[in-house]
Amino acid sequence: MKKWLAPSFVLMLALLVAGELVVRIGFKRSMTGRFDYGYDPNAGFVENSNGTVSLTRTGGRHFFPQTFSRVRPPDAYRIMVFGDSVPRGGSVATCYATQVADKLSAQGIKAEGINFCIGGNGALRTQIILRKGLQYQPSLVILHADNSDEYDDEREYKRAQNFKSWAPQYWLTKSYLIRRIYEFTTEQIYWAWLPNAIRDLNSVNDDDIKKQDGENSQQRQEWNQRFVKYTTESVQLARSYGVPVLLVSEARLRYDSNNQPYLDDLGVDNYLQPLLGPGVYFLSMKQVLKNTDYVPLFSDGTHLHPPGHAFLADEIIKKLREEKLVPLPMRIFPNPINGERHAGW
Amino acid sequence: MTFISWQYALFLPAVVLAYWLVPWRGRILLLLGASYFFYGMWDARFLALLSTTTIVDFFGVLAIAGRKEPMMKIIGIGFLPLVWLLGCRFFATSQAAVTHGIIFAAVFLPILYVTLYQLLWRLPVEKQRRAFLILSLCSNLGALGFFKYFNFFAGSLSHLLTHLGWDPGWTLPHIILPIGISFYTFQSISYAVDVYRGTAKPSHDFFTFAAFVSFFPQLVAGPIERRNDLLPQLEMPRKFEITDIHLGLRLILIGLFKKIFVADNCAMLVNYAFDPKTVLNGPWALLGVLAFAFQIYGDFSGYTDIARGSARLLGVQLNRNFLFPYFASSPSDFWRRWHVTLSFWFRDYVYIPLGGNRDGLLMTFRNLWITMLLAGLWHGARWTFVMWGAYYALLLTLYHAVPALNRLSDPEKNSPGRRIAGALLMFALTLVGWAIFRSDSIAQLEGWFAALGNWNPRVATDWIKPGCWWLLHVGPLLLLQAATWKARDEMELGRFSWPVRGLIYTLLFLLVSGSVAPDVEFIYFQF
Repeated sequence: MKKWLAPSFVLMLALLVAGELVVRIGFKRSMTGRFDYGYDPNAGFVENSNGTVSLTRTGGRHFFPQTFSRVRPPDAYRIMVFGDSVPRGGSVATCYATQVADKLSAQGIKAEGINFCIGGNGALRTQIILRKGLQYQPSLVILHADNSDEYDDEREYKRAQNFKSWAPQYWLTKSYLIRRIYEFTTEQIYWAWLPNAIRDLNSVNDDDIKKQDGENSQQRQEWNQRFVKYTTESVQLARSYGVPVLLVSEARLRYDSNNQPYLDDLGVDNYLQPLLGPGVYFLSMKQVLKNTDYVPLFSDGTHLHPPGHAFLADEIIKKLREEKLVPLPMRIFPNPINGERHAGW
Repeated sequence: MTFISWQYALFLPAVVLAYWLVPWRGRILLLLGASYFFYGMWDARFLALLSTTTIVDFFGVLAIAGRKEPMMKIIGIGFLPLVWLLGCRFFATSQAAVTHGIIFAAVFLPILYVTLYQLLWRLPVEKQRRAFLILSLCSNLGALGFFKYFNFFAGSLSHLLTHLGWDPGWTLPHIILPIGISFYTFQSISYAVDVYRGTAKPSHDFFTFAAFVSFFPQLVAGPIERRNDLLPQLEMPRKFEITDIHLGLRLILIGLFKKIFVADNCAMLVNYAFDPKTVLNGPWALLGVLAFAFQIYGDFSGYTDIARGSARLLGVQLNRNFLFPYFASSPSDFWRRWHVTLSFWFRDYVYIPLGGNRDGLLMTFRNLWITMLLAGLWHGARWTFVMWGAYYALLLTLYHAVPALNRLSDPEKNSPGRRIAGALLMFALTLVGWAIFRSDSIAQLEGWFAALGNWNPRVATDWIKPGCWWLLHVGPLLLLQAATWKARDEMELGRFSWPVRGLIYTLLFLLVSGSVAPDVEFIYFQF
C-alpha cells in the first residue's frame, strides 16, 4: 500500500518549517512594520548601538537612507521635513530639506536637514512618522501639507488591516518566511530592476480608482475633512513638544483651456489658515512661486526639479529669517583695533 | 472563481473530500453541482446557456443513435433553463440582469427545439441521423457565433459599408462573452460527431452527460476532452488511490508556478511593451515578444496543469495539452505540441473532413488554410487572430513546399546541429506569430515591426535590467523542462530521488508564494 505522505512532501514541509524558524529567530528585527503599509510607528527607524538612528526602506516606508544622532548636538539646528513625494524629491542631495540645511550651514549655522517624506503619504501616515521623529529633538518641523493623498492613506490602511486579518486570502502572509521572500523580491529585484513606467502600469487600477473617487464631490469633501483633522492634530503634537512648525502648502502646475499655466493649491492655503498661531508659521508655495517663472521648476504637474527645490529652500530660509526662527547669517567684521577681520552675528 | 483565487483553494479540497466520501451515484450529482456552482460564480445567468447546450446535445445525440425520448421528458427538461432564469430575475438586484429578450429566448428556443425534434423524426430513417447531427452542430455553432462573433462580423460589415459610402448607422448590442464557451461547445460538437461516425456511444444518463460537458476542472479553458477519454472515467466507479492525490497536488503546484511565477511576472514586461503609449525600440520589441511567449505558455499550460491536477484529485485523468512547444522543429510539430487537444480537434473535425492531404498538394494547401484561418478565428473575434491563423497557414505551406524547410521538420533524419538550427528557426518564427497574436490592432503590429528594426546603438539601455527580470522568471522554467526533457511534461519528476523532489517542491512553493506580480486573469478565459 502506498504511503499517505510521500517522503518528498514531508521533506518540503520540514524545510518550510525550518525556514520559518530561522526567519522568525534570525530576522525578527528587520521584519518590523512590514505589511503595515506605513501604519507601524517604528518601521524604517533603526536605532544603532553607536547612538545614531538610520532611516531605511522597509515595506511601507521608502525612506531615503539617512543617518543622524539620536540626541541632537547642542549647537545643531535640526530641521525635519515631513510630507509626500513632492518634498521627498529625487534624492537626499537635491531635496529642499537638505538644501535648506546646506544653505544655512554655508551661512555659518550648523544645520541638519532630515527628509522623512514618503511618496503617497497622506496626513495620517505623515502624522505617524512625525510622532516618531519628534523623539529625536527637532529644532524645526516643516510640515509639507497636501490634500491629494488621502485616498492612498485609506487604501493602504485597508491593506494593512487585511494583512492582519484571518481571511483565507491572507493565510500565507502569516508566514515570516514568505513575507521575507516577498519583501526581498519587491525591494531588491522589483524596485531595482523594473523602471517606473512598468511599475506604474501595474498600479494603474489604484490610480484609476483614485481619479474616479476624486471626481465625486462628497468623497472629495470627506478627504479634505480627513486632511484638516490629521494636519491639525500633527501641528498640536509638534507644539506639545515645544517645536516650531512651518506649514508649507503644496501647489500644482495646471494649464487652462488656453494652455496658459497657473498654480493650483487645491484649497490647501485656506484649510491651513485656522491652524496658524504662536509657533506655527505658514509658507504658500502658490504665493512664492507665482512671482517667478515657475513652469521650468516643475518636472510634471506636481513634482519639482532640483532647481525647484533650491528655489523653495531659499524661500523657506527667507521665511525662517523673517520669523526669527534662525539666527541672522554671520557677517565679517573688521577689528577696529588691529584691523583683522572676524566672523560674527 | 479562478484557479488562483483563494475561493478555489477552499472550494477544491471541499469538493475532493466530499467526492470520496459520498457513494458512487452521489458523486456524479456532486460533480455536476460543484461544476455549476463553479461556473455560476462567474455569472449565474449563463448556467442557462450551459444547460441548454447540454440538453440539446443530450437528446440530439441520442436521436443520432436512434433513440427517441418522450416529448414530455424533453419539454420538462427543456424548460429548466427558463426556470433558472426566472429565479435569477427574481433574486437579481437589477431587473436588467435578465431582460425580457433573454426570457423570450428561453421560452422560444425550447419550443423551437421540441418542434424540430418531432419534425426530424418524420424524415426518412437514412436522413434522420444526419439531420439530428446538423441540429446539434447548428445549436452549438449558433450559440458560439452569436455570443462570440456577432459583434465582430456586424461591426466589420458596418465598417466596410461605411467605407463604401453608406453608413448603416447600426447600434451594436452589448453581448457578454460567456467564459469557456469555445471550449465546451467544441467538446459537445466532438461528442455529437463521434457518435454520428460510430466511433463513440451516446451517454444514456443525463446527469453523467451534464457532468461531462460541465466538468469544472476543464470547463472554462480545456483541455478539450473527447467522449471516449472523459465520459468512461465519469461513468465507471473509481477507487480512491493516494497516488492520484500525490500526482494531483504536484500538477497543481507546477501549474501555479507556471502561472504565478512565470506568466504573471512576464506579463509586466509584456503590458509595457505592447502598451500603445510606449515608444518601442528594437531591444524592447524583442524583449516584449519573448516575455509574451513565456507569459502565454506559462499562463495556458499552467492553467492546464492545475486543471489536470484538480481532475486527478478526483481520480480523473485529463489529456496533456502542451509538450514543450518551443522546442518544435516545424510548424506542424509546433501544433502537435501546442494546445494539443485543440489542434487535434481541428485536425479530426475540420482538416480531415475537408479532405486532409488526400487530394493532392493544392487541395492540401486549401484545407490547411481553411483550418488555420478557423483556428485563428477560434481564439477571438479580432482580425489579428485571423492574421495569426493565416501566418501559420503560410508557414505550414512553406514547410510543405520548400524542400530545405521540409527536411528540417523531420528530426529523425537530421543531425543534432540541424535539429537545433531547426528548433531555433521555428522559435524565431513562433515569436513573430506571438507579436501578431498579442497586437491589439494591425497598426500596433506595424509599430512592433518598425521598432524591431531600430537597433541604433543610441537607443536606450533601460531594457537590460528588465531583461534580467525576464531571465530570472523564465530560467527556473527552462531548468524544470531540462529536468523533465524525456517525458516532455514538467510534472514527470519521477526519475529524481525523493530528497531532490522535496527540494524542487520547496523551491517551487517559495517562488510562487513570494512572487510580487499582481493577479492577472488567465489569457485563455477570453477565448
